[in-house]
Amino acid sequence: MSLFDLVEPGRKGLLMGNEAIARGALEAGVDFCTGYPGNPASEVVEALAKAARKFGIYVEWSVNEIVALEAAGAAAAAGLRALTAMKNLGADVCSDFLMTVNLSGTRGGFVLVTGDDPSAHSTTTELDTRNYARFADIPLLEPSTAQEAKDMTKFAFELSEEIGLICMVRTVTRLSHARGVVTLGPIPKEKRTAAFSSQDLWTSGSSSITCMFHSILHEKMNRVKAKFEESEFNRYTGNENAEFVIITAGTGWLYSLEAVRLLGLEDKVGILKLGTTWPLPEKLVLKHLRRAKEVLFVEEIDPFLEQNVKMLAAELLAEGNVGPLKFYGKKSGHVRGEFGAGTGEIDVDTVIRALAEIKGLQYQPREREYSEKASAVVGSLVPARTMGFCAGCPHRASFLAIKKALQWDGRDGIVTGDIGCYSLGLLPTGFSVAKTLHCMGAGIGTANGFGKLASFGLDKPVIAVSGDSTFYHACIPALINAKWHNANILYVILDNNTTAMTGHQPHPGTGSDVLGNPVLKIPIEDICRGIGVETRIVDPFDLKEAVQNVYEMLKMDGVKVLIFRHECPLTETKKREKKPKVYVDQDKCIGEECGCARFCTRVFKCPGNIWDPAKGKAKIDDAVCVGCGLCADLCPAEAIIVEEET
Amino acid sequence: MGGVEDLKKAVLSQNLCTACGACAGLCPYIDIVEGKAVIFESCGLKEGKCYAFCPRTPLDVAALDRKIFGAYRTDHVLGFNKSILQGRARDSEIRAVSQYGGVVSALITYALEAGEIESAVLVKSADGVNPKPAIVRKRDEVLECARSKYLACPTVSMALEAAKHERGNVGFVGTPCQVLALRKMQISELKPEANKIKLIVGLFCTWALQASAQKCIRDKVGEEKVLKLDVPPPPANILVIQTERRLLEVPLDELRRFIMPSCNVCLDMTNEFADISVGTVEGEDGWNTIIARTSVGEEILHTAIAEGVLETKALGEDKLKHLYEAALMRKRRVLMEMPPEKTAYLLLNEGYKSKILG
Repeated sequence: MSLFDLVEPGRKGLLMGNEAIARGALEAGVDFCTGYPGNPASEVVEALAKAARKFGIYVEWSVNEIVALEAAGAAAAAGLRALTAMKNLGADVCSDFLMTVNLSGTRGGFVLVTGDDPSAHSTTTELDTRNYARFADIPLLEPSTAQEAKDMTKFAFELSEEIGLICMVRTVTRLSHARGVVTLGPIPKEKRTAAFSSQDLWTSGSSSITCMFHSILHEKMNRVKAKFEESEFNRYTGNENAEFVIITAGTGWLYSLEAVRLLGLEDKVGILKLGTTWPLPEKLVLKHLRRAKEVLFVEEIDPFLEQNVKMLAAELLAEGNVGPLKFYGKKSGHVRGEFGAGTGEIDVDTVIRALAEIKGLQYQPREREYSEKASAVVGSLVPARTMGFCAGCPHRASFLAIKKALQWDGRDGIVTGDIGCYSLGLLPTGFSVAKTLHCMGAGIGTANGFGKLASFGLDKPVIAVSGDSTFYHACIPALINAKWHNANILYVILDNNTTAMTGHQPHPGTGSDVLGNPVLKIPIEDICRGIGVETRIVDPFDLKEAVQNVYEMLKMDGVKVLIFRHECPLTETKKREKKPKVYVDQDKCIGEECGCARFCTRVFKCPGNIWDPAKGKAKIDDAVCVGCGLCADLCPAEAIIVEEET
Repeated sequence: MGGVEDLKKAVLSQNLCTACGACAGLCPYIDIVEGKAVIFESCGLKEGKCYAFCPRTPLDVAALDRKIFGAYRTDHVLGFNKSILQGRARDSEIRAVSQYGGVVSALITYALEAGEIESAVLVKSADGVNPKPAIVRKRDEVLECARSKYLACPTVSMALEAAKHERGNVGFVGTPCQVLALRKMQISELKPEANKIKLIVGLFCTWALQASAQKCIRDKVGEEKVLKLDVPPPPANILVIQTERRLLEVPLDELRRFIMPSCNVCLDMTNEFADISVGTVEGEDGWNTIIARTSVGEEILHTAIAEGVLETKALGEDKLKHLYEAALMRKRRVLMEMPPEKTAYLLLNEGYKSKILG
């Protein structure tokens, strides 16, 4: 059990980074919490949802990030403490509001938590959201540890309320999902009352009013800067006179500490760790720049600190009391990932390599054969399997239907993909059917263009694919646009009744809210039909019907919607008590022979279907199979048997 | 022998698919879509049943004759035959719903009721135009399938379904290409279950239409239910569409562009590999020409006559001559007019060719 919501000040324990952020919000007395699920930020809202009843907090999964930020902004404008959490791309979605609410300000503490995903483990970009803090000119805090994640979140509320400006806390995957020791603080008891009267005005204005608010923003940020100069989240460790200084933030601090220790450079290299990275605590940074001869920047993704400090150094240069200074980091190429500087996650090895190259040291962080040895050990334990849909996933059937229908159609149609489990439609598990993938809603959005290119010589059927949660999040305007301009698009919505990829959060079509309360369903088909689009609903497990409908609808002019509706097996199997028994009749299985050629394991590739090379027959992996029976329907030899368990 | 790549090269890319449904019924990677086979994924095998049983892959007429009839044909125009008659169903109800004399419906009904077969694979149509294969077991189900369907239909897929799932003997009614596919299976060691098909009634055939003809016909008659389609013998040169409300004549020239290209390379008008072949009688409405070819065909014909199911008489000299000439002209046209790469599948000995070309 997590201790994140215990009212036991002083207690120490392990918290996941995201739970620590949620805890910080609890300790700040958060009233209102919104967000949209997305790796690595989802657990912030989920943790607060678990504590919602206990502490009287309003929590919602919003339909998308901009609505989330707007709703939380309103609560904060009414004097409450409000938090919104989202992944990196969510910051893009909410940026419109962010670029105005920075000017209109806030009364209550208003905190935006963004989760960045260096190496894009589960994202389609390596976006560094710190740029939004500089872009919107709002305070930015970068925790390095779980304790800091908690403390900085709490501080962000206080700062936001004091200055009257939204504050941003930026985390990354390795902090969000790692666990660290946290000492709990008290959770305040007092309740705030929301107030917004006809005397209030909350706006970024227009023309000269906007310029005035802009000037006020600069003044607010000057006050923030002064506070950051004194912040305990910034600290210097190591030799006070070291001529080589690492300037770092976030996870980079821990990597730097370890790298310096491993290389035995404690006396020669000092580390300036910054927790408040926008606006920069200039005096603190300058103090160390004046002394240093060499500076190495260690930070995730973009050279954010690196560029800001270099600008500062340029000002210092004019004063004539600094340098000569050598800068190392992303620009110099010393801090680099597998694909070059400014790409991929950094780690201890990254910092060791940079220091060793700069200092001319020989250091092998790992024995040369490490990776071979590791893969030898792991290889024997992990089944050889490419990234794929889960056993029983309806998306496998949906993409098979789309693939078949496109072949039937024979016009080399284009499939545009979208964000969700079904992004794997680009990979063999989705029969490599989808050909594009960007951000949420871009499937139907780009289809709007592909569907209007006939007069330019690209006259092909276009299929846009998205999931159910993505439909509500970002696809409705694009669907309206397609209808408005009569684009030739078949929009296939893969409705598995949940936001599956991020951990089965509810959405407007599921009939429940984040707390599990029953709420009104807003059916996808009602919205599509309301727009005037012909909409059909088919279960993709009825593969014949699914193929036939895609095929037929591809031939129809204009925009069409086909909803492939089948519940995610991960939620469906939780509701049932018995699992049907599925097995392969070894006498009937014809394996590699003509008439099958391993349909289940070579083409269909549900992980529940496995191949026995010794016998030359297929079998079922009981531990993985969910008993959906689709492979039994599709087996050309009718060799797969499904028995309902009694 | 060949595999799916050879099928693509020799048949699909030559536009010679008959849409018979043989390959699709045997393979999880092939579907018949609007009159042609579509391969959605390659099986990667070098040899396959798709190629082996396709009616447009190499056809050794002499070998097939010997395996089915026990001897090579003496009649190169009408194929191996034991008797040629004209006949009609005695049951007036059958005749009323049938194309000509109701012989096919009567024979299948008789075979089902006599227990010769337990089910039969026929083709029905809900709207009178769009064909759909069906497995039937009873007289009324047979009658639902009466009358000619002019659009190509993957009936062999359904025959394979029946062969797989039906417990008893199966009957089959089909066009020459469909019968050819089934016969190729039956004489092969690769597909023994096709031998469950114990009675093959072959339809005379000059051509079938592609699925796209459906729209052309619908454009003529709208949504009206079509009761009967008929192409009267030359020189009429029309398609007669009978709906619930009217009789419409469409010039055949309007429909010729919808003829399956694979029909143009077919030598077989009288369904030479069936047990018993049935077609029209030129110049005598309400009757069928019947050609009994195998002992199975001859036996069912004779018992059906003896049981009073069919009324028959000798086919007149002039009608036989007419039939013979029509079949001969067709073979000549194919062998003389079609480019050699399109007829490469026909493995004919010189004797066959000289009999046809003279």
